[in-house]
Amino acid sequence: MKPYRIRGVILRHAYEVRRNANHITYMVYWPVVNILVWGFFTLYLRHGDRLQPGVISCLLGAVILWGLFNAFQRDMAVGFLEELWSRNLVSLFASPLSVSEYVTGLIIVTLSKAMVGLLVEALIAGLCYHYNILPTLPALIPFILNLALFALTMGIVITGLIFRYTTKFQAMAWSFAGLLMPLSCVFYPLSSLPRFLRPLASILPTTHSFEGMRQVIESRGFSGSHFKWGLELNLIYFIFALFFFRWMFESARARGLLVKME
Amino acid sequence: MLVTVECLTKIYGGFKAVDDVSFVVQPGEVAGLVGPNGAGKTTIIHILLGLISTNAGAVRLFGKSLDADREQILQRLNFTSPYMAFPARLTVLENLRVFALIYNVRNPAQKIIELLERFGIEHLKNKPISRLSSGETTRVGLCKAFLNNPELLLLDEPTAYLDLQVARQVRDVLLDLQRSRGTTILYTSHNMHEVQRMCNRVIFLSHGRVIATGTPIEITRKILKEDRASPALDEVFIRIAGRGPDEAISN
Repeated sequence: MKPYRIRGVILRHAYEVRRNANHITYMVYWPVVNILVWGFFTLYLRHGDRLQPGVISCLLGAVILWGLFNAFQRDMAVGFLEELWSRNLVSLFASPLSVSEYVTGLIIVTLSKAMVGLLVEALIAGLCYHYNILPTLPALIPFILNLALFALTMGIVITGLIFRYTTKFQAMAWSFAGLLMPLSCVFYPLSSLPRFLRPLASILPTTHSFEGMRQVIESRGFSGSHFKWGLELNLIYFIFALFFFRWMFESARARGLLVKME
Repeated sequence: MLVTVECLTKIYGGFKAVDDVSFVVQPGEVAGLVGPNGAGKTTIIHILLGLISTNAGAVRLFGKSLDADREQILQRLNFTSPYMAFPARLTVLENLRVFALIYNVRNPAQKIIELLERFGIEHLKNKPISRLSSGETTRVGLCKAFLNNPELLLLDEPTAYLDLQVARQVRDVLLDLQRSRGTTILYTSHNMHEVQRMCNRVIFLSHGRVIATGTPIEITRKILKEDRASPALDEVFIRIAGRGPDEAISN
């Protein structure tokens, strides 16, 4: 991998962010709307007297972390779709740029954009709803990294599907995270799911991240087991995603789809 | 040999887009890859770039295999076609800066300006691609193609969207750059006068197969079966285009 080629990919997407208002919408507008709506909901909940301690903090923490996961997964796939929409794929892949350099550049851009969203949400939560994520942040970072790795894995799988099936799969870029949401136990503990769904939820790294997050926010300490489970599942899925992507890419090459994508 | 293609075959479903094609391109040569629509020209160019995998046969560029040495090979060549595009919101300068980084161009700012001036579009440098005409975008593609001083240039119908005057200017620039740097060019076009003017040697394709190889005059005599004094590739083209697959090959 050559750093200057990765810099080329970063520069291409940095120019796109500067010139395309949609990116500002994705990066700032939706995170702001999201945290404001959920923030007002927590203000309403505060009027009740039967809330368990820590519920409001867990809710806001979950909104922020889910926002990060969703943004990361979506921006990975949309970043690739932008090459496809602009018919830039042939120029890129007819150059010495490798697929791994391209994906690395895209990950760096996506991570930076997701971090902007995270910061904006954390700032609004602190200023408007007196929820300060900073004291718990060091203990949350391992779970955030697990979420980022799973989002990256999903992004790679969706990008592979778009390579192979072109824009027929582009809706997945925006909707795939939503598909995982009910089973990821974002706003409720695993124990509240129907018994038959729990095994399915347990094989999602997102579930372990949100379980771990709740434990940290409720001051029950860092859950090494949730982190370990999440990481192990992530590594399995990540390796699978790389093979899947390679398979989809070669399949697209064999069918001549790289030069015909629209 | 700079380009060696041996027994190349590409099949889509049951359709043979490229059928047992072999040819070579010598260093410094301007070789034309011509033929009617569906002859397999663009597919061959895309295979040479590694964008399409093959069913059979071998391709060697600079004596190396694309599977083993993709990065080194693609660093030494470049490609353009009016059918590819650039990110539309980015300006001409921004697009070329991105590719200058990808190709690791030294003094990119100077190189980009030099090429924009050469192709007569320096005044468009700060315009987004979306506001350019097809002909202007084609010239941006040509600037991209020369960014890395390629030893081998693959040009797929490079003058297709250009008006006659600009097409002539572009041909002059291409020939000038080819002569001054010894760049090898593999050129596809439907404009047979352009092919006669540009190419030392022509590889004539029909229905995925090579049906004749030689200088324009050799091809003319061979296909028309007449002792002509000057090349007439447009007549050859019309003769070939009117034939069915079996007839084209057997004749």
